[in-house]
Amino acid sequence: MPRILIVEDDDHIRTALRLMFEGEGFVVDDAPTGEIGVALFSRMTSDVAIVDVMLPGMTGFETCQALRSTSDVPIVIVSARDETVDVILGLESGADDYVTKPFVPEELLARVRAHLRRRPDKSTNAFQIGDLHVIPDEGVVRQRDGVELHLTSTEFRLLTDLAQANGRVLSREDLLEHVWGYDYFGDSRLVDVHIRRLRMKIEPDPASPTYLVTVRGTGYKLVI
Amino acid sequence: MRQRSLRLRLLITFGLGAFILSGLFAALTYEGVHHVLVADSEQADLHESLENAALVRSTLYTSPPDLAKLLNSIERATTSSVLVQTNKLYLSRGIGANTVDVPLTFLATVRQGHAATQVLEINGQVIYVVGVPIPAVDTQFYEVFKFNSLERTLRLLMFVLGVGALITILFGISGGLWVTRRTVRPLERVSLAAAAIADGNLSTRLQVTQADREVQQLTDSFNEMVSQLVERLERDARFASDVSHELRSPLTTLATTASVLQQHRAELSPAGQESLDLLTADLSIFQSLVEDLLEMARTDAGAVPLAIETVDAVELVRQSVRSAARRHGIVEPPIEVAPAIDDPLISVDRRRFERVITNLIDNAHHYAGGTTAVRLDYERGQFAVNVDDAGPGIPTEEREEIFERFFRGRAAHDRGNVRGTGLGLALVRDHVRAFGGSIEVLESPEGGARLRILLPLVEEEPS
Repeated sequence: MPRILIVEDDDHIRTALRLMFEGEGFVVDDAPTGEIGVALFSRMTSDVAIVDVMLPGMTGFETCQALRSTSDVPIVIVSARDETVDVILGLESGADDYVTKPFVPEELLARVRAHLRRRPDKSTNAFQIGDLHVIPDEGVVRQRDGVELHLTSTEFRLLTDLAQANGRVLSREDLLEHVWGYDYFGDSRLVDVHIRRLRMKIEPDPASPTYLVTVRGTGYKLVI
Repeated sequence: MRQRSLRLRLLITFGLGAFILSGLFAALTYEGVHHVLVADSEQADLHESLENAALVRSTLYTSPPDLAKLLNSIERATTSSVLVQTNKLYLSRGIGANTVDVPLTFLATVRQGHAATQVLEINGQVIYVVGVPIPAVDTQFYEVFKFNSLERTLRLLMFVLGVGALITILFGISGGLWVTRRTVRPLERVSLAAAAIADGNLSTRLQVTQADREVQQLTDSFNEMVSQLVERLERDARFASDVSHELRSPLTTLATTASVLQQHRAELSPAGQESLDLLTADLSIFQSLVEDLLEMARTDAGAVPLAIETVDAVELVRQSVRSAARRHGIVEPPIEVAPAIDDPLISVDRRRFERVITNLIDNAHHYAGGTTAVRLDYERGQFAVNVDDAGPGIPTEEREEIFERFFRGRAAHDRGNVRGTGLGLALVRDHVRAFGGSIEVLESPEGGARLRILLPLVEEEPS
């Protein structure tokens, strides 16, 4: 049974979410604060986490960072606002996805399921990007000096997906479907923010990318 | 009536006022000085004439032959010319004075024994004629004075007065300009500021400068008014935003518990199941309404700045259409790109643009049987997104109103069971305007409605 961590300070929402996920066959750990959530997670690793942004004490963003520092667990943040700046802040703090309140419960469920479904794609052969050695079956990116570069599972998938395209351009919609596994929602900002984070990690000069190239009017492609 | 410019009117008033005043002053001064000078001169001349006449008389009495000598001496002593008529014989030494110049009536008066004076103008020269009868010796004495020096004085005076009047008029006009600037410029500033505020630039205030008390008062009360207005707008928007915000948490609980109930649907009685379906259906409307209200409140309050990006227009439309269609589970309408379209760029907030497209497609889906095509083209130098449907079209009188908040048109009434939030198109217009664009309603080639968004094109490369 998949295990889910729900960090939400509103008792009613937390209880309702627990009931819904339990009804869908999840094992639910729920926490009213970020601190408790992180403590629960360290004791029993979840398969996926839902974190509300507006939390007393430790904020949702800080909770995301704390979870991310120890794990690649998919994190969906629940934000009260869906303005670009909030979404980007949430994704920058390490979240993989976000929903806004009041969310449609089925949509949240579908997103959580999509994150559980996708596992690192190990079918891709190892490949080289500049000085970086990408080994999908080990799930690592190694620099020339042997130091491993840390990518989140979403970033890793994004990279291998673009590599599999063999230099073909993938649209934001394609990437959403392949990487996030959504078949009916799309928010292209998810793609853009993750591409930017990936560039910060693998590009020698993230401001003028040479590997992860934006193709105007179409999407992104990986130049190896 | 045509509106006249206050500026022009003030200038004309000042200029005309200065002209009338200085003209009147010059005319009166001239008349006065003229009168005094001429009267003085006439009196002196008359006095001299009478003296000369007495001399003539005594000369005629004592030794008539000496008359010519006397006349010579008189003329030499004065600037006048003298004419003496004695026994029908004219005696004159002067140059410009002869009987031709003097009216016959004047001569007749003198001949009849009355002394007379007259001012004449001959060939542009003013002369003063004095006639003195000397009946004892049947003689008339005439003396003609020229006002030469007087004329020069008066001409000089007229010149001085004219120049004075001209300077006064110039002063009047510049005074008018100054007053106009003091009064009209603040008015213009107020009008510019008001226009800026009407355009939505609510941070506009009038500059507080050193100005007249009245202008200062106007500036102060204008700024005060705008502050009050902005405060009220913000309060209203904040209220709407707060209310929607407060609704979110209970709404989230409601929706989630409803879905928990749906999981246990089979355990419910038929009445319970039907109630649950109604609850679920209306919850989703409630949810959309709160989302729309929040979006609107955010836009109104201006609290959240637009995240404007320069993006590829065609790609964004494609994405938005696909995302809108999938979100609402409807068939993705075809996108027709006109041949002229060549990778145009637009500057928009991507999320809000997607919202615009979603709402338009949603609207066509609810009220017009769905979108037939999304057609992209250039129109009046802008990027045009035409969302076409094959519905009944939108009556001309409703083409502005449909963008009002909570407007329910005929189409909405005809389809009583369809319940939108009534905010969709209002949001579309707000967002499009925020991007510097516009929206209009036309007819689609399929005979339905065409909602056309026009967005300004940008030149720069996307970042």
